[in-house]
Amino acid sequence: MNEPSVERPILLLRETAARIAPVRGTPVDEVLAGATDSFFAAESPLGTVYVAVGQEGVRYLDPADSEEDFARRYRRRFGRFVSPAQGDEVAGLAEKVASALAGERVDVPLDLSRATPFQRRVLHVVKGIARGEVRPYVWVAREAGTPGASRAVGNVMANNPVPLLVPCHRVVRNDGSTGSYAFGSGEKVRLLRGEGVEPEEISGSPYVATPTTGIVCHATCRNARRIQPYNRRAFRSVRSAVEAGYRPCKVCRPVAAA
Amino acid sequence: MRNFPYGPVVVRVVETEASKLDGTAEFDPLAVRLAEGDPQAPGSLVKRHYAELYRYAFSVLREERAAEDAVQDAFERAFSALGRYSERRLRAMRLRPWMYRITLNVARNRLRQRREVPLEEISAVDSAGHDEQREGVMDALGALGKLPERQRVAVTLRYLQDLPYAEICSVTGWPEGSAKTLVRRGLMRLRKIMAIEDTRGDRR
Ligand SMILES: [Zn+2]
Repeated sequence: MNEPSVERPILLLRETAARIAPVRGTPVDEVLAGATDSFFAAESPLGTVYVAVGQEGVRYLDPADSEEDFARRYRRRFGRFVSPAQGDEVAGLAEKVASALAGERVDVPLDLSRATPFQRRVLHVVKGIARGEVRPYVWVAREAGTPGASRAVGNVMANNPVPLLVPCHRVVRNDGSTGSYAFGSGEKVRLLRGEGVEPEEISGSPYVATPTTGIVCHATCRNARRIQPYNRRAFRSVRSAVEAGYRPCKVCRPVAAA
Repeated sequence: MRNFPYGPVVVRVVETEASKLDGTAEFDPLAVRLAEGDPQAPGSLVKRHYAELYRYAFSVLREERAAEDAVQDAFERAFSALGRYSERRLRAMRLRPWMYRITLNVARNRLRQRREVPLEEISAVDSAGHDEQREGVMDALGALGKLPERQRVAVTLRYLQDLPYAEICSVTGWPEGSAKTLVRRGLMRLRKIMAIEDTRGDRR
């Protein structure tokens, strides 16, 4: 561009370029808030976990090996990038998550907008299983409005985007055995013990009944825990308990067909 | 207002899998960081390109808020698309021209959408800092805006954005010869427009 005739516009454009700058500098946080999902780390019974936040609340929780590992998994699953939560953007939520992971009864808002209606119903049911209790797949299926869909429930548990917050480790096989867990069945046993559940007591005899009330319960139902050892009758299925003359508990609602 | 800090962003990587794959040996380390899940990488992309993309959007829309919104929109589109790319594809991305392509489209569409509103009114709205320097900027952008679309894009990318021809071609898809012709014609035309405005200015 040695033509003298065009030197002036070039100079003018370069001068102009130097004078155009974003008024507020580069608003990195603002851009990222709209374009990526934020995440933070938290301590849990599974060790350090990372937590990604969607519009409505926690969207994903994962005990990844590293931030990078977490970011990659999140992108593979949700097609979005994460960036570290800034300032007090998610401070309230992070506090709730920390308390919930420490075993306190806190309601943590979840963003399950990417889940199907069936998945959402199942996750919602499982979210309600109290610490210290377990429920079989067949019960979750019935409570979610799809009796008999035990296997589908198992799939939802295997892909639970928010483990611990939706305590899928409290869902056991229909015969009371612990069953599998996304992070290993050993971890599942350890988590349940930490919550006061003895998996081997339930395995094979997931239901208990007592002649004093004539009621059959899930073995970990709060009513069942009050039964004196000498009054305790263990059952492999609700059906066998019903045949022996017991009625299903109205609190833990064991599935009569199970 | 300093010149925007754009450092060298491409490094040469020899004999990697992806370079053999698509025949290009140029890698953007930030694309690799995005692919590998570096959680700081999205922020780095914003920091690296925000100012220059803002300048482009401002040159088209000539209004601060509109330029900010356009760049925000461009980044949201960019991350939303990149988020769905495979790691391998992401790794091979040339992010700078790609970000420009998105910003060009967003700015052009936004300009079309507000055709009804005369530009004079828009500039009047945010004339808070109406000083001589700003007037100079607005005059220069006004002159640019009088160029035919392709010439305006070519001249803007070359001299307002300081992109090398290789990147201009990558942004626009034009062959290098066409890009150079468009820049030359655009500059000639710009010179004429400026000469006319000089005489007007003298009469004023
Ligand atoms: Zn009960």
